[in-house]
Amino acid sequence: MAFCNLISRGWNQFFFTGFSGESLGLLRMYIGCGLLFFHTYQFATVLTLNPIGTRNYFLDPIWYFHLLGIQYHIPALSFIVYALLMSATVWMIMGKWTRASILVIILCIFYLKGVRDSFSGDVHHRYIIPMQMLFLFLLSRCGEVHSRDSRHGAYPPLQEWEASWPIKMMQLYVALFYFWSVIAKVRISGWEWFSGEGRIQEVLIKRSVRWGMTSEGELVKNSLSFELAQRPDLIQIFSHLVLAFELGFPLILFIQSVKLRAFFLSGVIIFHISSFVLMDVNFLLIPFVYLIFFDLVPIHQWLRIHAWRFFKRPRSMAR
Amino acid sequence: MSKRTVTLLLVLYLITIWGAVIFRIDYFPLTWVPMYSVYEPRETISVKVWDKDQYRKGLKVTHRDGSTGYVSSKDLNVPKPNFRRLYYSRIFGTAPPKHKQGNIELGTLNQWVRGLEEDEPRFEVDWEWRMFWTLNKTLRLEPGDPKFITRIESSHQKQVYKKADLLKGDTHKVKIQTNTVVIEWHDEWLPRWEHGIL
Repeated sequence: MAFCNLISRGWNQFFFTGFSGESLGLLRMYIGCGLLFFHTYQFATVLTLNPIGTRNYFLDPIWYFHLLGIQYHIPALSFIVYALLMSATVWMIMGKWTRASILVIILCIFYLKGVRDSFSGDVHHRYIIPMQMLFLFLLSRCGEVHSRDSRHGAYPPLQEWEASWPIKMMQLYVALFYFWSVIAKVRISGWEWFSGEGRIQEVLIKRSVRWGMTSEGELVKNSLSFELAQRPDLIQIFSHLVLAFELGFPLILFIQSVKLRAFFLSGVIIFHISSFVLMDVNFLLIPFVYLIFFDLVPIHQWLRIHAWRFFKRPRSMAR
Repeated sequence: MSKRTVTLLLVLYLITIWGAVIFRIDYFPLTWVPMYSVYEPRETISVKVWDKDQYRKGLKVTHRDGSTGYVSSKDLNVPKPNFRRLYYSRIFGTAPPKHKQGNIELGTLNQWVRGLEEDEPRFEVDWEWRMFWTLNKTLRLEPGDPKFITRIESSHQKQVYKKADLLKGDTHKVKIQTNTVVIEWHDEWLPRWEHGIL
C-alpha cells in the first residue's frame, strides 16, 4: 500500500506539476514556428516535382497507404496538401480553431511523409518526435491560452496539472527516444557499435571518400571526417560520450537547474550539428523540439522587452 | 478531461510506445529503432562513383517490341534522392535500411509473435517485380502494349578500398568495380499485375 502511494505521489509530482497554462500556450506557438521551417525542409524534395506531371506508382507504399489502398502519387495534390499544412500550422500558432488545425497538420504530415517515403521504400524517422508532440497538443487544452480562440470564448483557466501533463509527456518521450536508440544499437549490433573501430569510424570513412578524390589523391570533401576516422582513440571517446548522453538523457527530467539543462542540451545540439557536418546524419533541425524542456514564460517576456524593439522603428526616424 | 482520465490515457500511451520497443514495431509514428543502429564489421569500404551523365539519362530499358530507351527521374516524376535509390539500390535487390534493421536479430519472442521460422526474414520484397510495376504503371504501359518494358538495366562503378589502407591515410590503393544488373520481365507475373502491389 505504501509502495502504491509512493508511486502515485511520484506520478502526480512528475506529470501534474511544473507548468502553467501560459507556458503550454506559448509552447504551442513556438513549436508551431519551428514546424514551419521543419515542414519545408522535410518535404522540399516533393515540391521539386512537376505538379501537372505524371502520376508515379509507388515502389513500396508506406504501411498506411497499403492499408488505404493508395498506390500512386497525384503530384498536384501534394502541393495543395503542403499549402494546407503550412496554413494549418499558422492557425495553430495563432490559436485559431486550434484542435482542428492540429488534426489537419497531423493528417497532412501523414500524407506527405507517406508520399515521400513510398517512392523508393526508405522510411525516415525525423517526424516521429514532432508527431508525438502534435498528438499530445491535440489532446491538451493548449488552444485556450495565448490564442485567438480564447478571445471569443470564455474558457475556464487552465490548472497546473492540465498544463503540465502534455509537456511532461513530451519531455519523457524525447528522453526515451534517445534512450531507445542505445537499446536498438545494442540489440542489433552489440556493444561493438560503440568501439573506436566501430560504426562511427565506418560512417566517417564512407562519408569522406564518397565524394571522390582529386587527381592528386586528395579528398574532394569531408577531409576532416577522414582525419578523424584515423584516430580510433578519439572516436572511442566520442562514442562513449554518445553512449553516456543517450543513456543519460532521461536524467534531464530530474534536473532542476535551467542552466544545467541548457548546458546538457547545448551538448546534444553540438552532437547533432557535428554528426551532420562530419557524417551527413540529418537530424539537424530536430533540436527545435528541446523548447519543451524550458518554461517559455520568462523567455517570451524577455523577447517581448528586448527583441521586439529591434523590429520597431525609432520615433525620430518615423517622423 | 478529468485527472483520472488523463492518468489512464498516459498509461495507455506509455504501454503503446514501450510495446513498440519490446515487440520491435517500426510503423510510423511508432518506432523501436530511432537512429543508425546496424553495424556489421567489414574489411572493405565501397563507395559509388557518380556518373552524372549516365544518371541523368536514367535506367536503360528495352520494350516488348525490341526498341530501347531510358527512363529518368523526370519521366517517373519522382524526387532525385528517391530515383537514386531505385537506380543504385532497389534494382540490385538492395532493400532499404529499415528492412535490414527489422530482419536482424529478431529474437525468439518476436519470431514467435509473428509466426516466423528461425531464419525467416520479417521483411522480404520482390524488388525485381516491383521495378517493372512502378516503371510500366507510371508510364501507363500495360503488358499487351508493344512499348511495355520487359528489361531494365543499371550500371555504375564502385570504388573499393581496404579499410586498413584508408586508416593509414592511403587513398591510392583503390579497386574500381563495375556493378551491372539486368532484370527481365517474366510472364508468370501477369496474374500479379492485375492485383498490383497492395
